[in-house]
Amino acid sequence: MPAGAAIQVGGVNVFYGDFHALWDISLEVGRGEIVSIIGSNGSGKSTLLNTLAGQLTPRTGSITYFGESIGSLPPHETVAKGMVLVPEGRRVFPRLTVFENLLMGSYTYKARKNRKQSLENIHELFPRLGERGDQMADTLSGGEQQMLAIGRALMSEPKVLLCDEISLGLAPIVIKGIYQKIKQINALGLTIILVEQDITRSLKVADRAYVMLEGKIVLEGKPCDLTEERVKEAYFGI
Amino acid sequence: MEGLAQDILNGLLLGGLYAVVAIGLSTIFGIVRLVNLAHGDLMILASYLSLFMVSALGVSPLLTLVAIMPIMFAVGYILQRFLLNRVLGEEMEPPLLVAFGVSIILQNLMLMTFTPDARSLMSNLSLMTFSLGRNLSVPVLYLINFFIALAVIAGQHYFLQNTYMGRGIRAASDDKYAAQLMGINTQNTYAVAMGIAIMTAGVAGVLVGMTFTFYPHSGPQYLIIAFGVVVIGGLGSMKGTFVGGLILALAQILGARVFGPGYQLLCGYVVLLIVLAVRPQGILGRG
Amino acid sequence: MTNRFTRIKWTILAALTVGLGTVPVWGSEYAMLFFMLFCIYLALAQMWNLLAGYSGLISLGQQSFVGLGGYTVAVLSSYYGINIWIGVVLGGLASVLLALLMSLFIFRMKGVYFAIGTWIFAEALLVWFSNWAYVKYGSGLFIKPTNDLSMEAIYYAAFVVGAGSVALVYMLLRSRLGLGLMAMRDDDQVSETLGVDVFRSKLYCFLISAFVTGITAGIFYVFQIFIQPYKAFAIDWTVKLVFMVIIGGIGTIEGPILGALIYIVLSQFLAEYFSVSMLILGAIAIVVILVAPKGIMGTLQEKLGFEILSPRRN
Repeated sequence: MPAGAAIQVGGVNVFYGDFHALWDISLEVGRGEIVSIIGSNGSGKSTLLNTLAGQLTPRTGSITYFGESIGSLPPHETVAKGMVLVPEGRRVFPRLTVFENLLMGSYTYKARKNRKQSLENIHELFPRLGERGDQMADTLSGGEQQMLAIGRALMSEPKVLLCDEISLGLAPIVIKGIYQKIKQINALGLTIILVEQDITRSLKVADRAYVMLEGKIVLEGKPCDLTEERVKEAYFGI
Repeated sequence: MEGLAQDILNGLLLGGLYAVVAIGLSTIFGIVRLVNLAHGDLMILASYLSLFMVSALGVSPLLTLVAIMPIMFAVGYILQRFLLNRVLGEEMEPPLLVAFGVSIILQNLMLMTFTPDARSLMSNLSLMTFSLGRNLSVPVLYLINFFIALAVIAGQHYFLQNTYMGRGIRAASDDKYAAQLMGINTQNTYAVAMGIAIMTAGVAGVLVGMTFTFYPHSGPQYLIIAFGVVVIGGLGSMKGTFVGGLILALAQILGARVFGPGYQLLCGYVVLLIVLAVRPQGILGRG
Repeated sequence: MTNRFTRIKWTILAALTVGLGTVPVWGSEYAMLFFMLFCIYLALAQMWNLLAGYSGLISLGQQSFVGLGGYTVAVLSSYYGINIWIGVVLGGLASVLLALLMSLFIFRMKGVYFAIGTWIFAEALLVWFSNWAYVKYGSGLFIKPTNDLSMEAIYYAAFVVGAGSVALVYMLLRSRLGLGLMAMRDDDQVSETLGVDVFRSKLYCFLISAFVTGITAGIFYVFQIFIQPYKAFAIDWTVKLVFMVIIGGIGTIEGPILGALIYIVLSQFLAEYFSVSMLILGAIAIVVILVAPKGIMGTLQEKLGFEILSPRRN
């Protein structure tokens, strides 16, 4: 792993009002790595991504991004820094076309300059999006919307991609296709954090993985070191 | 049927004015889900500002639009950014009541500054007409209003469809969080949207001031007109706003023709209430 | 300890109520005027609060009932010589009928559409009455009591509606209807699944508030002696009520009491500068919404658990 991690999280505690959602979270993501965060519903994995993206501010602890401290940045500024979130449930803009959705991805000034090139790249990666350019986003299938959400995020020329449950509600063959794209994107040099409930898939593609339970990290390691049994134990808290 | 054609012509032209009165309210309601109860009063504020400039500089009211538009944009931006953004949340009541408060403050400020006397921006323009065929005379001012309205609405439509900021506004209204994830500063976006809305209200205010007399308390009656146009024509549709304006204006003018001039407003209200009860999403609105 | 506090609380309340009810006995003419207006605005504010604070209905059109209540009294007393108090009650009944009519239109609407719908009805009434020969158009009507009416009698009537409105709201909220309302306030849809008839509950509150508003307005205009459409049906009424309740504390029973008091004091101080008083009221209301959205009493309740008239059951 090249020197200087992409993301370093140290002792982060996050609260929703009085509810303690993340307890003393510490993790590291190296440049160019794919890191999986696994856990059941309510384990805090989405909260973690939302915190990295800037929607939530940690009460204590630090978040470093390529050496810079970013704990209190709002979402639109973390995007400008090069870290973008593909949110849970895709959340494409229903009343905009596919093309307009992609354009929205390149809203930041930096990305806007290169948008033509970016669009070409996205169309190469996801040909379907090019075909459906003028369609309203809410007419797309689930899998297509997921591709659109990822493509939209890529338009902002990120260095780090945060993916929140991108396999949710999709057919296995569609998921397979999307994960292939994830590997392709990683091969281009992007660091990727995948949050998933589906253990098998995400372990297959990850360089390292963390397992979360009730807001805490309970297991970490390389996929080859994590036996099915150990993961299941951690996942279910047995 | 004497004069019916004239009434219809007047109604159509007036409808254009009503449309530009309403476009600001419609924009904000559609985008931020906020009913700006101070919309009418902000219009009248522009009327007074224009009046002030006309008496100070001796220019034609239409010329004051050059200054009024950026001023009103700033007013709207500041209002949204520093006041209304704070109360935007889950519940509908706080923004409604804050806007109500702003409305009352504006009315009384204008009352104190400009006295309760009737004012107007009328000029020679208001009296000019030209003939169309044998029986119709076209009031020049109404025609000017109509075309300015068309320009404003078309301009805004272009902006929302074809610029980054415009698309950003539409995106933020679709999904605020997702928009933030795209790098859109939604606080700023909402404020820009309100700035545009109040800017168009400013244009409407100047046009209205040139066409009718106005008082510090004239705001609410234009708010109701704006609301009527939005309800009748449907939210979120430029065409709808125009159609809504036409229908409301025609209802008023034809109503006055049938029942007498005192009932002009009432006929508008009745049509509005009926549409509200029967087809609340408006004639061209999406169900 | 709590029992002692409760007994003290009720004793003070009783004393204050008796004091309020006997102002004509111990107070000056000015005091009578002051507290009479207080009672009137208190009743109106309680009714607005019942709608907005407990039923989730923001009404910007209470002036419809104010105008109708007032005009009923005016017409009945001037044209038909009917006893003034009967006229007042009939004014309340007329308001209920109006509310029923309005509900046909506006109860299909939600939230902001409902609010503006109520306002439009009021504006329509304003135009209607201004153009109606029967009520002498916009020049207005006089209220002519057949019997000699003393200031004391008017005061006692105002006291009855004022104190009565508080008692009414209190008892309403402790009733089955009230339990449903408070559940609705928290969550509309959940309470529906539990069997609360949301529509009926809201309608009842709307009708009750129309009735009391109509009667209170009748009494007010008996005092004023003269009524005109552009004042009786003006949005100003709603403006004052909104501010009273917001500042005093929306969704509390004590809130309107405090709000009405603040308003009366403020308007007496600034009697000559009407615009300034409205401006100050508006500015205070905005500040309150930004800083303490539950108003004075509401915030006290929240932070200190301080409740005088609690509709909660223990």
